Amino acid sequence: MTTQHGRRQLVLVALVVVTLLVLLASIRYGAIDFSIAEISRALASLFPGQPEPTLDQRIFLELRFPRAILCLLVGASLGVGGTLMQALFRNPIVEPGLVGTSSGAAFGSALFFVLGGVFHIGTSLWSLPIAACTGGVISTYLVFLLARSREDGRASIVMLLLTGLAVNALFMSAIGFLSYIARDPQARSITFWSLGTLSGASWKAVEIVAMSTVLGSIIALRYAKQLNALMIGEEEATYLGVNVNRLKWIILSVNVVIVAVATAFTGVISFVGLVVPHILRMLGGADNRFLIVGSALTGATLLTLADLIARLSVRPAELPIGIVTSAVGVPVFIFLLRRRQYVF
Amino acid sequence: MLVGSNITFRVGSKELIKDISASFAPGELHLLVGPNGAGKSTLVKVLARLLRPQTGAVEYGGADVVHASEAELAKRRAVLSQAIEIAFPLTVREVVMMGRYPHFSGRPGPTDENIVDEVMKHFDVTEFKDRYYQSLSGGERQRVNFARVLAQLWDHTTDSCRYLFLDEPLTFLDIRHQIDFMKRIRSFTRDAEVVTVGVVHDLNLAARFADQILMLDGGRVVANGPPSEVLTTERIKQVFGVEPTMVQTEDSGIHLIFN
Amino acid sequence: MKRLIILLFTCVVLFGASCARFHNAPTESKDARYVVISPIYNEIIWALGAQNTVVGIDLSTTYPPEVKNVQTVGYHRALSAEGILSLHPTAIIHDNNIGPPQVVQQLQQLNIPMKQFSAKNDSFDGIKALIREMGAYFHKESRAEELCNTLDTQRTASLEKVKQYADHPRVAVIHFGRASNVYLVVSKGSGGDGGGVSQMIELAGGDMAVENTGGRGMQRMESPEIIAKANPDVVLLTDYGYDRLGGSTDQIKALPGVATSNAARDNRIFRIEENVLNYFGPRSGENIAKVAEIIHKK
Repeated sequence: MTTQHGRRQLVLVALVVVTLLVLLASIRYGAIDFSIAEISRALASLFPGQPEPTLDQRIFLELRFPRAILCLLVGASLGVGGTLMQALFRNPIVEPGLVGTSSGAAFGSALFFVLGGVFHIGTSLWSLPIAACTGGVISTYLVFLLARSREDGRASIVMLLLTGLAVNALFMSAIGFLSYIARDPQARSITFWSLGTLSGASWKAVEIVAMSTVLGSIIALRYAKQLNALMIGEEEATYLGVNVNRLKWIILSVNVVIVAVATAFTGVISFVGLVVPHILRMLGGADNRFLIVGSALTGATLLTLADLIARLSVRPAELPIGIVTSAVGVPVFIFLLRRRQYVF
Repeated sequence: MLVGSNITFRVGSKELIKDISASFAPGELHLLVGPNGAGKSTLVKVLARLLRPQTGAVEYGGADVVHASEAELAKRRAVLSQAIEIAFPLTVREVVMMGRYPHFSGRPGPTDENIVDEVMKHFDVTEFKDRYYQSLSGGERQRVNFARVLAQLWDHTTDSCRYLFLDEPLTFLDIRHQIDFMKRIRSFTRDAEVVTVGVVHDLNLAARFADQILMLDGGRVVANGPPSEVLTTERIKQVFGVEPTMVQTEDSGIHLIFN
Repeated sequence: MKRLIILLFTCVVLFGASCARFHNAPTESKDARYVVISPIYNEIIWALGAQNTVVGIDLSTTYPPEVKNVQTVGYHRALSAEGILSLHPTAIIHDNNIGPPQVVQQLQQLNIPMKQFSAKNDSFDGIKALIREMGAYFHKESRAEELCNTLDTQRTASLEKVKQYADHPRVAVIHFGRASNVYLVVSKGSGGDGGGVSQMIELAGGDMAVENTGGRGMQRMESPEIIAKANPDVVLLTDYGYDRLGGSTDQIKALPGVATSNAARDNRIFRIEENVLNYFGPRSGENIAKVAEIIHKK
């Protein structure tokens, strides 16, 4: 026990160090590179009595810094979301997107793009995230409700996966329909939104995503032990005292909120939730407490690295971050698939 | 004492068990036998409170358990099923520790760690403790599960009775392990004064190890009593459709030979 | 353990690699530095000779060929504030078609001057007004007047040439909409997305074969009836779409409804540059003649 426990502690400490290093790189490098001196001056300008910040310093304080923090938070959300989904579905090949959350969020925002122009609703920039969240919540609960068996109200995991597949197909074709009837600029917005970007980061966004990520992760940690029990089966977990149905509702809700809120601000970013838990399991086994903390850190790190690539490779232009995560995520995923025999 | 009264369980319009009443005393190994579809597994699940019957009641120590909380029940009731499939890399020790989950919140305490060590030693799985469950053979895995289930019931923190259910736990085991298991189950039942109710297919094992046999057919109780009373040639022929030759020996009891 | 080391190593390498890319744009200059996000504005700026003030353009700007020498800030609907600001522009010039909205808000928050021109290039008068407005903005008024005069002269000359053609071919214009990833057919009428095309074809002595249904300039070409019913004499494809189909008429005949048309029968299917046909610009005067030459019978 000590060997495994000690190893996990070591892994987590190393992850914290790596995350901090990557954060430092993220705030320093980009279309504009900031030196440590410039960063200090920018931060100093926040204190009373200091000279007003220059444009470059403002760029750092209002664009770069919140973006770097948002990147950490969104990466953490996606990582934790992936771990929760895989624990809930007892299947390592599962992503928050599979229960309809991402496609629902995408549909919500697509609807906003198309209707917002027609009805001139929501001039506030919160309308888009709220629309995306609403879409994600509706689609996920739709999946869960449809997957319940009539006899005893329980939703088996197989039913959830199949219903999720169907609801995803439904929402994706709805998005297709919206793209069809949309005028050209709106259709383009839909396309680019579905590839993901962190360019819209602001401190307001950081506030909101921080709340959902931190709260969601704390709640998830509280149920980590029950999720462990679920790993040996729904029946077995019940015998160990877990109210499986209630657990599913709670974890599903936490997952929806943290993923939909993140998706609302950055668009659809895939593969992070799929790959991060695998990496953690290879490093330190399958205990969910370790996985939740570890995947928050690993997700934050990986997404920040992806954002660095997105910002540096074609600067001053930017790649949509979803392209980077897919380009890296797909080969890693295939490699993982071939290494182990997974039981479904 | 475990008492089931007038239990009926339906799925849709089909009744899987019909109006079953039986009582199970602590310290005795009760085995359910019957042909396929007789309702044995369903009965065990109802008695273990995984399923709730449409009519009838299940009482643990005189109290109806229909509204007991899962968490509370888990402290004194454990179920050993067929070998479980785990899709994630869990070590043996982690799996056994899960048996202690009902007894601690947050992190396991020293008592839990000690019990896990003891129970692993008892079932000879200590050498596997850091290996992954997935890498073990069928028999080894079932020993680990047995350890986990008994870890759940190992200590008696309350005065109330403990209940152990076995839902066809001998599948996938070879003959040596089957006999080994049954011996351990019987000795644990007697030593710890646990109420044990199990489902087995092999009538010879039932004959040899059970203190009481409950024979089911078509969802009803056909016979209930010690093996010598229940396992008669006519009854077995009627319920199972095969006629055994019975051999009785001094030390090992009844043996059934089927042609 | 090994994997942790690999992860750490990757971070260090990334650090080192990015150090080599240290090159911020100069901040000392007091001259005008513009990021211009609009293909037509950029074409006019180059025509006015004011291109040395342009430090950044958008991805869709492709004319004149010299624009390749200027840095691009990306697709106009997927901009990044930091990317634009790293070029230290004194103003951002756009035609109100930029996004995402959060980035626009960020730029406004940072009080970056944003400029739009009021004239629209939806007709000959419109394009002349735009050229004059931009001429004033860039202090190239005399050059602007020259361009307008050339435009008028060339238009008159082109219209004369057009008169020599006896026929009035029915023309269908098929444009590949990159963002929506479908083939669009331009319908008759002004306004909407196809206004410029319609006028150009008519000035060149042709008729737009496809009627305007539903008030939109361009419609998706999923239904074969759109073209089949129109039965054009000539089919024009814009450059990108034509090249995508490999440049052979067989592939183009495979587009819905084209195969049965007169154009397919007579092999009057031609490629045309998007920036010649789709909008009014400084070269539109001579472009009329170019279009006329393509669509009329030889």
